Amino acid sequence: MKTYGTEPGAPTPVQVGISELVVSDGDDTLKSYGLGSCLAIALYDPNTGIGGLAHVMLPDGDTADNSDRKPGKYADTAIRALLRRMVEQGANYTAVEAKIAGGSDMFEFESFGDGVGQRNIVAAKAELEKLGVPLEAEDVGGEYGRTVEFTPGTGVLTVKTSDGDNGVTEL
Amino acid sequence: MKLDVNALGTFYRMAREGAGLAAGRLTHMLGVETQVGVTKLNFMRGQEIERDFEDSTEKVGVRVKLTGGIEGYSVVVFDRENALRIVQTLLAEADSDSEGDTELGEVDAFDEMTESAATEVGHIMNSGFIDGWADVLETVIDVSTPEFVEGQTAEPFFGDIDEAPADDDLALLFQSRIETVGTEVGFSHYLFPKRESMSKLLERLRTSEGIEYDKLDGFDRMAERGAEEVAKTATTLTGIDTSIDIRRLNFVSLEAIPEQVADEKLVGVAFEFDGMPSGYLLFLFDEESAHEIVDAMVPMEVDEDGFGEMGTSAIKELGNIMASGFLDGWANVLDTTIDHSTPEFIHDIGAAAVDPVIIQLGENQDFAFVFDTVVMADGREFDCEVYAIPDESDLERALNNLDVDRIEDAKTTAEFQEVDNA
Repeated sequence: MKTYGTEPGAPTPVQVGISELVVSDGDDTLKSYGLGSCLAIALYDPNTGIGGLAHVMLPDGDTADNSDRKPGKYADTAIRALLRRMVEQGANYTAVEAKIAGGSDMFEFESFGDGVGQRNIVAAKAELEKLGVPLEAEDVGGEYGRTVEFTPGTGVLTVKTSDGDNGVTEL
Repeated sequence: MKLDVNALGTFYRMAREGAGLAAGRLTHMLGVETQVGVTKLNFMRGQEIERDFEDSTEKVGVRVKLTGGIEGYSVVVFDRENALRIVQTLLAEADSDSEGDTELGEVDAFDEMTESAATEVGHIMNSGFIDGWADVLETVIDVSTPEFVEGQTAEPFFGDIDEAPADDDLALLFQSRIETVGTEVGFSHYLFPKRESMSKLLERLRTSEGIEYDKLDGFDRMAERGAEEVAKTATTLTGIDTSIDIRRLNFVSLEAIPEQVADEKLVGVAFEFDGMPSGYLLFLFDEESAHEIVDAMVPMEVDEDGFGEMGTSAIKELGNIMASGFLDGWANVLDTTIDHSTPEFIHDIGAAAVDPVIIQLGENQDFAFVFDTVVMADGREFDCEVYAIPDESDLERALNNLDVDRIEDAKTTAEFQEVDNA
């Protein structure tokens, strides 16, 4: 599909909304905007340049009834769905690496218990370890929001906070 | 007529599905990329729909009558300029296809050709929505021939539709926005279902006991009282005259809530509240408005980066008192008490402030009723968006307990405290 009004060579980033996951390759940019306690999980195969980004909301999909319909909503099911789709597109399972960002705890509400962000981080790490996917880099926790951009071809995950130019980190 | 969350969830999926099909067809027709903006189920009164139209821009619409699986009217409404732009794109496309050499130039009024082109676009959009609903409902919906409508108020669009709600009637409305990528072309879509047809559908889709449709009136009263209290409190504390710009009750998927928040750094105050119902309450200001508020509330010059300790505490204080007023408004309608937490200040990307709340609610629900309120100042910067997101099962219970006849007499009793600027 052609997008009018953008310069050639500068494709619009693909938005990955909450509970969504997208697999792509090469120079495509995948973007998740305004992560608070949500977690961005980026997986990529450095050899083939195939990778994907998931914008997960909750830790545990195995106990939820709708996780087969919405695998991108939960950390565990999102990681497995990303891997499966990447392998289907030609990625090599054993080469896949992971980077994660997000999982802040913005508010200290009583109803939040240990922190909704923290639970997502713990769940993602546990699932990656179970599947033998090395976690190469992370920028998680804290009490601030993040916007992430991921380019599967290079494996670079750019994390921006609301501090403007000072708040940009490349993982 | 009773409704429950499952039925509303199905309606929401219909709206999403329909908007997706409509967007796809628009892309196909115009050769431009489109995206579906926010899709909502709104509970609106007739007078609010009228206000929606009162932005003094000329509008054009295409409406069709529905029979079969859903009965009522489906109306696609464009800003007149947008409609002309779409028609221009469409005719230019047709022109280049046929390699004809007709000079089109700027189209600035509807003639026979452009009107029929606009009607065609509107009809294809309407059909997209309707096909989407029919898919979700696994039923057949028949569509009448399209009718072209032009005007500046709601009257020519809905005035003669019996199904459209009277000033004080609450209607369930499907609202979607579709935008073309890169250009500023968007449109709104309204569905006015017949009450009997709606009632039959709800009956079929309902999986739980649900609540009486008429109790939804309580929702609207809650929204009204809450909004009034916020505007009143804001004016009392800041001395800035404010009024309620938008007050709406939406039913949306949780994921759609952060998407709706402005794509910029915002200042906010968040609360959790506890009672019947419990839930979360957020006040969000753009940075400029937040600075205005600090200037109005803190008498001396503040020489600090960002909002500093003084600014932060002023905004928290305002939030705190607005929250008390808002929740008191609710509690009075529901004849109960609702307590709220101490305020949490946030100065960050707007969506990041909302996602923790939807995560917490997401453990037990997929959809939420969102009480959307926008308070604006007359002549000065003071825009405040209020998001009140109650726990779904609590809200259902609270509404079921509600005595609708009592609402009118309920008086709010928000207390104003002295602001401590020290």
